[in-house]
This record gives sequence, structure tokens and C-alpha cells, in this order.
Amino acid sequence: MSNRRSRQSSSAPRISDDQMIDLVTKLRQILPEIGQRRRSDKVSASKVLQETCNYIRNLNREVDNLSERLSQLLESVDEDSPEAAVIRSLLM
Amino acid sequence: MHHFVPDFDTDDDYVNTNNNNSSLNHLPRKSITTMGEDDDDLMELLWQNGQVVVQNQRLHNNNTKKPSSSSFPTKLLQPPIPPSMDNHQQQQQPSSDQNLFIQEDEMTSWLHYPLRDDDFCSDLLFSAAPTPPCATSHVVTAVRPPVPVPSSSNESRPPVRNFMNFSRLRGDFSNGRGESGPKTIVRESTQVSPSATPSSAAASESGLTRRTDGTDSSAGLNRKGKAVAMTAPAIEITGTSSSVVSKSEIEPEKTNFDDKKRKEREATTEEAECRSEETKQARGSTTSTKRSRAAEVHNLSERKRRDRINERMKALQELIPRCNKSDKASMLDEAIEYMKSLQLQIQVMSMGCGMMPMMYPGMQQYMPHMAMRMGMNQPLPPPSFMPFPNMLAAQRPLPTQTQMGGSTPQYPVHASDPSRVFVPNQQYDPTSGQPQYPGYMDPYQQFRGLHPTQPPQFQNQATSYPSSSRVSSTKESDDQGNHKTG
Repeated sequence: MSNRRSRQSSSAPRISDDQMIDLVTKLRQILPEIGQRRRSDKVSASKVLQETCNYIRNLNREVDNLSERLSQLLESVDEDSPEAAVIRSLLM
Repeated sequence: MHHFVPDFDTDDDYVNTNNNNSSLNHLPRKSITTMGEDDDDLMELLWQNGQVVVQNQRLHNNNTKKPSSSSFPTKLLQPPIPPSMDNHQQQQQPSSDQNLFIQEDEMTSWLHYPLRDDDFCSDLLFSAAPTPPCATSHVVTAVRPPVPVPSSSNESRPPVRNFMNFSRLRGDFSNGRGESGPKTIVRESTQVSPSATPSSAAASESGLTRRTDGTDSSAGLNRKGKAVAMTAPAIEITGTSSSVVSKSEIEPEKTNFDDKKRKEREATTEEAECRSEETKQARGSTTSTKRSRAAEVHNLSERKRRDRINERMKALQELIPRCNKSDKASMLDEAIEYMKSLQLQIQVMSMGCGMMPMMYPGMQQYMPHMAMRMGMNQPLPPPSFMPFPNMLAAQRPLPTQTQMGGSTPQYPVHASDPSRVFVPNQQYDPTSGQPQYPGYMDPYQQFRGLHPTQPPQFQNQATSYPSSSRVSSTKESDDQGNHKTG
């Protein structure tokens, strides 16, 4: 399997279909929306990939928002307090 | 009413240099739109005798820049002709027709101008070297304001050529609607663009054209697919394909970094298809030709699908940090892990955000409670997936190195440092007995192999999903050092 991967890879479109199916299935399990709503055989790989990209972007945005909120919280908290330490740890 | 405001700023030079009508120079920029009946300020672009005549009853008091720019062609065509102002007053009668004409969508009305007379364009193109590009750019920008005029002026020849083709095409439909216009423009512009782009191979041009014809609906243009990519290069190259650009705007990023590769691929594939199709037809046998054509169609669609997938994979690869994998499968694996880690991180942080304000009172009792709950019942209450102990445990700056056996630290993973378990001092004491604490320190540890709803495990398993093993491991994980193996 790994040999096949290494041979086929390097941006060549000859990836094994089974591999794609497995990975797409895995991705669909994670994606909160389309992967779980639709029937399994209906979703195309490109759609799944697109959903993945969008989802990652959303997650990144969420992380940024949360970081901002946490930093704001940090400002409201006394320095050297345990809470501040906790918040700092969360932010890192 | 000005329906669109093209940026005629660059016209100023030309206006000043070429316009012998000084009064026009003072006209500020305004839309080319000519709803004559509405506004006193509006100019009317009339097509009179094969020339664009700016009928401006109020020209003198008016400050429309558009008349000036639109009067360029008039001046170009008939240099001796007095400023368009004079013509305006003279030609009032056809104004009614022109008004009707003009009242259409701006694009159509604008497009109609070159319809009547090819000479108009040719004169435009060749009469005055600096002006035609400007005029064309104006004209084009009138249709598509966002197109940067300087860019069009930079490449004087291709936009001019494009305009020429525009005129030829528009001659087909005398009363073409605005909606059909863009489509035709698109189709034709792709035909034009090959001529404009010296780099395109002939086969690729034909392929481009064919492909565009195959997807010749505006919807097809809007697709995130070949059509946009096909037209986008043409647009970028010519720089003044108006309507097409407006549609390709939808897919800016895609076209930018994908269209080049796609174009090359398309060029090669289209060449092969042309040749293969020709050979098949040369055989003369209908059935085999049909079959081969069907196979070709299938190949085409398959290739399209593949290209789409590759494009998405590239986008995904760009999103994932520190992804140096060229292998698709491993890249997807990384994407999955990254997504899980992001989910975890968000959960932790959101919980921290929510809990932070409440941390001041009764924190001590809170956290042990959470920890115990974490330890005892595997199905955690959903909101407190990452309990407080995780935050406490992470008080120290967490090293990014992980003790995970096989997996490389690609994300800012908090290493499950056994010593870290006890670093959180007083808060930890009541819960030090909890074996799960060490696991909580590493929010990213879980994404390695855990289902998001599973409790965090300090014991890191690279891709082990089953929870049972983890449960057992946590129970016996008093000495965290041994359980760092992946």
C-alpha cells in the first residue's frame, strides 16, 4: 500500500480509488455537515475536499476569535494569578 | 441616472490632448449612461451615421466627462467635424430612437455603438495611436468598471484587437439584449484572446474555444470549473474582456493560481483530443467514431473531475500548516489530524472562555469535580469535554515536542510531560490522584487517535481510535512516563 502510494503520488492524479474513498469517508465523518447528512455514495470527492477546506477555514477563524476573547479576558485578570496563567496557557 | 461609473480618469490626458473642444475638458467624469429624459446632466450617446455622437443638449452647462470620452470616436472619425456639441443640437430627432435604445441596459446600449459600423472601430484603432486604446478602454471599462484602465492602456494592442472583435460580433445582433451579449462576448473573446495572446498555441486556442462553446452559458461561466478558468486566462491576458471578467470575478483565487496549470494541461489535452478526434473521423466508420467519441467525452469528464479534485487538494494543502507532503494520501491524513486538532483546540478555548469568568469563586472544588468526572465516566458531558484540569495542567509554557511515538509534532502540540502533571500545584493536589490529569494537558494529543468525544488521554496513540484501550490505559497510567509510547 505504501509502495503504491509512493509510486503514484507526487501530484499525479493516479491515486488509488480505494485510498480516496477511505480518506473521503474519514473526512466526511469529521465534517459536521454534508458528510453526515447525505447518503454516502452521493458526495463527490471534490465536494468533500471543498467542504474540508471551508471547514478548516472556519476552524481557523474560530480559533482566532477565541484567542481574541481569551486575550481580552487575560487583560481583565490580574497578572500572576492562576487564571492568568491558565489563559496564557490556552492561548499558546 | 448614472447606472455605472466607469473610471475615465485616464481619459483626461486624451481629452486634453485630442479634444479640441475645450469645454469638454472641463467635464468631470460621469457615467456613460444616457438616460436623457431623466437627468439634465446626462449626455446622450447617439449613434448617428455610423458615429457616436454625443447629444448633449445641456453640454455647455453640463459636466459629464463621459461625453468627452465618448466623443473621442466622433472626433477620431471626423477630425474636421466640429465638436460633438454641435452635432448634438442638430440631431435631436433621432434622439428619441436613441433614447429608447439607450434606455436599455447600459451594457447593451454601450455595446450597440460598435455594432453599426466596423469602420468606427477600425478608425478608432488606427486613426490615432494613443487614443484608440484609451477609447477602447473607456468603452470597455464602461461595461466593466472594475477593469483597471491602466492595465488596458499598458497593452494597447490586445485591447484594441478585442474591441475590434467586439464590434464584429455585435454586428450579428442589432438589438441584442444585454444578457445574451456577455455570453457571446465570452465566447468570442475566448476566440479573440488566442489571437491576442501570442503565447497560446493554436491547438490550445481551438481547445479553449471549443471548451467555452461547450459551456456557453453564463451559468457555465460561473461554474468553478473549466469555463471560468478558460476565460480567465483570456481575460487576464487581454485585460479588457469586459463581461467575462465580471463573471470571472467570482473565481479570482481559483483562476489566479490554477488557471495557468490548467491552461497548460488543457492545451496538451486539447491537442491530443483534436488529433484523436481527427483520426477517428478520418476512419469514416460511424460506430467506432461514436464509441471513441463517447470515450473521449468520458475521458474529458473524468479529466475535469480529476482536475477539480487536484485543485481542491492544492487548496487544502495550502491551508494545512507545515504540510510538506506531496503524497495525496498522507496529505489527507494530515488534513484529518489537523482538523481534529483544531476542533479540540476550539473546544478547549471555548470552554476556557466560558469558564474563566467563573474561575474566581470556588475554583478548587470545581476542578476536582470535573477531573473526577473525567476520570470516572468515559462518556463525558459534552460541554466539558476538556475539563479544567487541562487548563491547569497547561500552566507552564508547553514544549512543542511530543512524546508521541511515531507521529511527528506538526502542530503546536502540548507534550504530555509527566512532570507537568504536578506542576500545577495547589489546584492539582486534590486531583493528583487522578490518572487522567496527565492526559488532559495535551489537548492535541487527542487528535492523534481519539474521537473528539472521548476523554483526553495523556497516553498518545497515533491513530488508535478505539476507546476501550484508552480507558484501560488510563486506569493503569499512574506513571505517565511509560505510557508515552505511540
